[in-house]
Formats: sequence, C-alpha cells, structure tokens
Amino acid sequence: MSGLDQLILFTTDLLALFAVYLIINIGLNLQQGITGIPNFGILFAVAGGAYFTGGLSTRLALSLLGIHTDLSPIFDNVSVLALINPILKSQPIIAVGFMILFLAIGGVAGAAMGLISSAPAVRLREDYLAITLLAFGEILNVIGIGYQPLIGGPPGVSVPDVLGWAGEFRFYAGMFALLFVAIAVFAYAGYLIKTPLGRTLRAIRDNEIVARSLGKDITRYRTVAILIGSTLCGFAGSLWVMYSGAVTPTYARFDWTFLPWLMILLGGMGSNRGALVGTFIFVALDKLIIYYKYTFAGILPFDIVWLNYLLLGLITILILIYRPEGLVRTWQKEPSSVQPKK
Amino acid sequence: MELLPTIVGWLIYSALLSLMALGVTLLYKTTKVANFAHASFVTVAAYVTYTSTVILSRNPYLGAPIAFIVVGLVGLLLFYAVLEPMRRRNSSTVMLMIGTLAFDIIMLGITNIHADYLNTVFKVPSRNVLLSGLDFKFMGEPGILFVALGTLALCTVAMYLLLNFTTLGIALRASMENPSLSEAIGINVSMMLAVSWFIAGGLAGVAGALLPLWIEISPDIGTVLLASIFCASIVGGLDQIYGAILGGLLLGFFDVVGTSVLASVVGPWISFYEPVIPLIVLSVTLIVAPRGLAGLRLRRGK
Repeated sequence: MSGLDQLILFTTDLLALFAVYLIINIGLNLQQGITGIPNFGILFAVAGGAYFTGGLSTRLALSLLGIHTDLSPIFDNVSVLALINPILKSQPIIAVGFMILFLAIGGVAGAAMGLISSAPAVRLREDYLAITLLAFGEILNVIGIGYQPLIGGPPGVSVPDVLGWAGEFRFYAGMFALLFVAIAVFAYAGYLIKTPLGRTLRAIRDNEIVARSLGKDITRYRTVAILIGSTLCGFAGSLWVMYSGAVTPTYARFDWTFLPWLMILLGGMGSNRGALVGTFIFVALDKLIIYYKYTFAGILPFDIVWLNYLLLGLITILILIYRPEGLVRTWQKEPSSVQPKK
Repeated sequence: MELLPTIVGWLIYSALLSLMALGVTLLYKTTKVANFAHASFVTVAAYVTYTSTVILSRNPYLGAPIAFIVVGLVGLLLFYAVLEPMRRRNSSTVMLMIGTLAFDIIMLGITNIHADYLNTVFKVPSRNVLLSGLDFKFMGEPGILFVALGTLALCTVAMYLLLNFTTLGIALRASMENPSLSEAIGINVSMMLAVSWFIAGGLAGVAGALLPLWIEISPDIGTVLLASIFCASIVGGLDQIYGAILGGLLLGFFDVVGTSVLASVVGPWISFYEPVIPLIVLSVTLIVAPRGLAGLRLRRGK
C-alpha cells in the first residue's frame, strides 16, 4: 500500500470517528452543558442504538426484502447476510433506504434508553444522579452478552451491508454519510439553542428556581433534553455499527461515556462549537498515537496505547485547572455561556 | 447448591466491597465528590500485592499494609495535584468529578504500563491472575475470609475511634458538617480534606490489596467493580459513613447469594445477569428510600 493510500485511509477513519463522536458530544452537551444534567450514562443510549440496530436490522431486512428462509438471522448470521447483501449491493437506492431505516431504529432505541434514564434524572439530586446513571450504563452489555437472540452473545453479529454498493470505496462512502449526519445534527443543535426551548433549558441550568417561578415545568424540560440527547446518541451508535459492519456487546464506559465528557470539557461545555473543537482535537490525538504505534513497537517495554491514556488525562487536568471554561470560550462571546456554579 | 461456600463468598466479597464503599462515602461527605478514581485506587493496590508477591516472593498478605500507604499517598496526590487547585478556583462538583475521572484515566494508563512491564521484563503473567493458591487454610476455610472480615472490623472500629475520640476526628467531622464555620474557628479545612483523601485511599488500598487472593485481577478490575462500589455507597446512603458497610453487606448478599439461589431455582443461565443485581438493589432502594438505607433509619429516629 502506498503512502498516499495509507494517508487517505487514515483520514477516512479519523473523520468517521470524528463524526460519530461529534453526534454523541452534541447530545451530551445538550444534557450537561446546556441543561445541566450530569449524564454519566450516555453509554446506555449509544449502546442502545448500536445493539438494537444489530439485533433488528437483519430481521427487518429479511422481511422487507421478502426473503423466506429457515435460517436464524442471528445464529446463522453469515448465511443470512449472504442472501441479503447481494441485493443491497446491486440496488443502492434500497440500501440507502435501509440506512435511513436503521438510523431511525438507532434513534428510537436511544430515545427509549433516554426515557429510562430520565426516570431517576428528574427526581434525584445531582450527585446521586451522576452515580446512578453511571451504574446503569453497563446494563445493556450484560443483556447483550446474556440474551443471545439480541446480538448473538459475546461474538456479536454482522449487519446488512448498506454500503456494499460503493465497492472498494465502501468506507469513504460511509465516512461521507456519517459526516453528513454529523453536520445536520450540528446545524440542528445550533438552531435548537436559539429557540424558546433552548433558552428555557439554559434558564433551568442557570437558575432552576427562577425558571420554575416563571411557570416552566422543570421535570418536563429536563426529560425533553434527555430524550433529544439520547436520540442523538442512539443515532451515533447505529451509524457506527453500519460503518464498521458488525456489533459486539463490548461498548465500554471509557470509550462511550468518559471520552465524550473529556471532549466537551476540552472544547468548552455549553457550546456546540466547543464540542466540535474538543471532539476534533481528541480524536485526532487518539488516532495519531495509534498511527505511530508500530513505529515504537519493540522500543518500549509496553504498549504505546497506554501513553495515550496518560496524555488524555494530563490534558484534561490542565484544562480543568487553568482553563475550565474550555478552549473555545476565548473567541466566542455569548451571554448564556456562563458555567453553572454549584 | 451448597450453602456454605456461597456464604463464605458473600462475606469475603461484602467485606472488601464495604471497605471500598466506605472510602467513597467518606470522600462524598468531605469533598462532596463521587470519586471516579476509586477504581484505580483498587487496581493499584491489587497490583501492589501482586508485584510484591510475585517479584519479591513475599507473603501476599504483606501487600495490604504496603498498599494502605501507597494508595493513601495516591489519594493525597490526587487531592493536592488536581482537586485542591480546582477547589481554589471554585470549580463545580461536576467539574471536580471530571477531575477525579481524568486522574483515574492516568492511573489506568500507569497500571497497564506496569502490567505490560511485568510481562515483558519479568516474564510473569500480569493479566487475569489470581493468588488464591498462596492463601492459607484455617478451619477448612480460605484465610482471606478471616482476614477480610477482620480488616473490615478493624477499620470500622479505628474509624469510629478516630472520628469520635480524637481531636483530629472531631475537626474532620466539623469540616464535613460546615466547612466555612470550621475555617472560622481555626480548623485547617484543606488539611482535613487531605486527611480524608489519605484515609479513603488507604481503605481502598487495603481492600484492593486483598482482592487478588479471592478474584482474578486485571488492570481493569477497578473499573469493573466501580459500579458495584458506587451502588453499595448509595444503597447505604451517602449521608452516613457507616451506611457504606450496610450497603456493601446487602449488595454482596444479593449479588453472591442471590445469584446462587436464582441459578439453582431458575437455571444456570441467570448467572449471566449477575451484574444487573446491584442495579436492581439500587433501584429498589432509591424508590423506597431516596437517600439510602441510613437516611431511612435517621429519619425514623427523629
């Protein structure tokens, strides 16, 4: 593989990951940055989107394409996909239709998980809430491993290849699809902040008592914020499954809760542009370290990936101490950008 | 189903879980922070034991006192390097929590590097390792049963004596109840917070150091246990330090005994869902008593 090909592949992967994290971070930012709900359980919604896409996509594709087979869509996954994928490969329009359908599954699953998280979120105190949501984030992994008909247990399942029509350009096409959704989500979030709903959410964050005294139903608005945020996380989970083509019940708290938190912190909480900048810096750093991993292999007596952990943690601590308002604040002046004080 | 091994398993697991949750609750009371770094406190301690046992061929139980000091110092480091500078800048609770999270990620990296180093340089296995083969037997039961329960009892009594009968403990309690008033009467609140971070680190250290004698450890063991530790702490009630012990015992009971009973009644497949049990206990507790079991008892007492 030539150097240029490698560079293109590297950039494609980087942009795809960036797009997925941007969608999640906009969703998280809406909850934590704009409404002030410390959701340490966004893994729940991301995994919901991913696992339900994994579990339902093959079944739906079978019935929509009218294929009759005795094979199980989960346990005979490979043989069933051998029936579905050629059709999707020859008919891009159907494939894109399926992509939108699976995205919708992810969104609905994410929203459903959000609805579940909102039960404690509107009742508990901030500190109890953060811990409770963190604990609940893992539950889908347990179900994914224990209940095999969902995504086939630990080995996971592949999903119908909705990008197969692009042939060898499959991953480029996927990357552009992901970026397209991410840009749409970003634009939507920018719009949402300026609507009356967005203003109410910020008001609740800045002073709940004042918002309540103005007749705002705090519980309802907090639920709405969680629902929208979780739907976005569900989209992201679903997109990531479609892009990578398979899903296993291994979505970790570190990757899908902690990293998004660090990213929005780096950019600046409460600002969508902050989420954008923070996401890009983090993903680029992460990918670069992995890219140079093999250069250092053998020189150091440990896996270089762990240095990444040291670096990410250190950057976050420096940001927290010296620039808690994030990187973006310096050139963005918005009266609502005040960080909530406890 | 055999009853005795299940109960032994419950007591060991609960004793260790209680010690870990005790630290979480203590830190919550003093710093108002849910300490995400408790995960790495436990992991670091487990590797202190593992390293001293395998490389220096010491008795695994010697890991506990060493880990108390080492992890206590790690707690101090977290407090002075991360939280104190943030606190001086009036960071919000959520920001402080992210601070502990960032520290946890650094420690996770260090433990993994340490594990890789053990593996490549000393050629010993360093992941999914268990030291129970080196444990002694007492009255036919594993020694860890008596050591874990004894340590829990010792730490609880020591904590009770410290908090109730020493000037340091009284100053500590005062700065939990009302930091600004304590500062006004000359208590060094920052110092008291540092003391609580050392104690909490030490408790997590002792518990983590005993862990490899009972369950397999890997650099992610703390992260895996974190949800259960937090559950135990919340079930017990974040407002009452000793609630954590109650929470740990209860959670361990449902986790170990509950799973075992369910497996013999419903079928072995249910044991896949063991990690859900703490969450069910947590949900039920929060519905019945939104401030934990200790909160319930205190309210009735009034």
